[in-house]
Amino acid sequence: MELKIKEHGFRYPLHWRILDSLEAILGVLWPNRLAKFTGWILILPALLLVGILVIGLIEIAENSFHSLDRSTFRLSNQYTLDNYRAIFESATYGKVILRSVLATIFTVIFTLILAFPFAYTLVRTQKAIVRKSLLVILFLPFFIGQVVRAYGLLIILGTKGVVNQTIGLVGVDPIRLLFNFPSVVFGEVQYMLPFAVLMLAPALTAIPQETETAASSLGAHWARVLLRITLPMAKPGIIGAALVVGTLTLTDFAIPAMLGGGSQDFIANTIYDQFFRTSDQGLGSALALMLVALGSACVGIAVALYGAGTLSMGGKP
Amino acid sequence: MISKSQRMIFGSLVLFSILILSLPTIIVVGASFTSGNIISFPPDGFSIKWYEKIALARDLRQAFVRSLMVSLICLIVSVPIGTLAGIALTRYRLQFIGALQVYLLLPFTIPLIGSGIGMMLLFGNLGILGSIWPLGIACAVINLPFIIWSVSSSAAALDRDLELAAANCGAGRIETFLYVTLPGVMSGVITGGLLMFVLAMTEFLVSLLLTDARTVTLPVQIYNNVRSIITPDLAAVSSVFVAIALAAVWLLDRLVGLEIFLKSK
Repeated sequence: MELKIKEHGFRYPLHWRILDSLEAILGVLWPNRLAKFTGWILILPALLLVGILVIGLIEIAENSFHSLDRSTFRLSNQYTLDNYRAIFESATYGKVILRSVLATIFTVIFTLILAFPFAYTLVRTQKAIVRKSLLVILFLPFFIGQVVRAYGLLIILGTKGVVNQTIGLVGVDPIRLLFNFPSVVFGEVQYMLPFAVLMLAPALTAIPQETETAASSLGAHWARVLLRITLPMAKPGIIGAALVVGTLTLTDFAIPAMLGGGSQDFIANTIYDQFFRTSDQGLGSALALMLVALGSACVGIAVALYGAGTLSMGGKP
Repeated sequence: MISKSQRMIFGSLVLFSILILSLPTIIVVGASFTSGNIISFPPDGFSIKWYEKIALARDLRQAFVRSLMVSLICLIVSVPIGTLAGIALTRYRLQFIGALQVYLLLPFTIPLIGSGIGMMLLFGNLGILGSIWPLGIACAVINLPFIIWSVSSSAAALDRDLELAAANCGAGRIETFLYVTLPGVMSGVITGGLLMFVLAMTEFLVSLLLTDARTVTLPVQIYNNVRSIITPDLAAVSSVFVAIALAAVWLLDRLVGLEIFLKSK
């Protein structure tokens, strides 16, 4: 061994040499005196990637200030507020916005009513198997995707679907369950439930069970404990969940499109139609920009009140 | 301790939630095994003929391959970028960290229809609309906060002294990164990658906006077919998504444990 080294001269293993040369290259490209900017260079690609969205929004804003020239079917060159005027003056858009907002309010209420007991059971249960099963039931739909879930609901609620077949057994005529307002709200509630539970659960985890026990040991009825202790303490989580569910519902496309059958369009569906049916990109952009402003404001409030919650990225240093 | 009436009310509400969450999935999978030509209940008997049919259907197979490619491109783009950003946010002292976090959360705060239309206009101007890879990038953008979040939470749990110790032993910056930091955050990288892959695989609205008739992905293909006619072959395709979701949930549970999502801050 000793001899061999003398013969060939001492050499480090190959991957050491590769690493050393990489370090040397790095030393030239990014010398140590730039160390205080290292964090910035690491985060830069992410900032640029998200920049695509920002440029996209600017494109939307730019388009929204040009109205459609009906003779050429292109956007005219001069800047105008005509698109926004058209939205505010038209009864059609007013109706769509009203329908979206109404559906959102109903969805938020029903989702919270269902999500709270679910999250509560999830957090408070002593049995690991119950908790695991509830979590799997919650996560599975999350990963299945919106289209497949809406398709499942279509099968269940269709005229020849499970519900109608079941009530048919007792002699009830099939009811038209699909393509109306309640079916869209039902679809949204089903879609939003996992989001709401995941927003509520951490807030409920933070409430020590002893406070509830203390209240009931002092003779409070459970409903009173719920109203006076648990709900007020879970308030940030409830508001956070309501805002997230509200924004996602208000801006949803797939559920109204699939379960509403064209008769229950939300704002997003109208935007889509402006681009792909009427080909009025200006008007579509104006609607999109308004929806983005509305949605971002809601989420902004949620983040401000609740923090980014479980999605907070990186602690304060 | 929990009174009977509370247990009844909470129990029935939870039961209802379980029912509406899992029934559609069960029905879809059940319907895919029917031997009849329409979806009916109870199913007409057991067969796997619809799976044979979708395996032979060229449009569905191509859409599936396209979805896979979109997910892979999304991974290639988002995993390195998200990992570096996650590490930067937790391990380095950055000014304006609050503003940075708000900016990096933009993909969540901007409604998907807005992001989708914006990217459609941008990609259209660049003349790259109609290819597969811009959709992969789009999926990376709209779900980026997920991987940043998962990497930064595992980076936060990593002892800072480990990196200093490595450097003290003479390891250079690249060596420290490759042998200490990266292995330390690997669980976060894998979790984030898993989320990115599955979410890109099932992404619908942005796919709908960024694809044309020649480049539809599988969720868009299902959407287009549902609007024309509901046949059991769609149930078979949907069951493929259910299988993917089951695998993803199992993996997620193995990697980080689903209980992590119940923790308070």
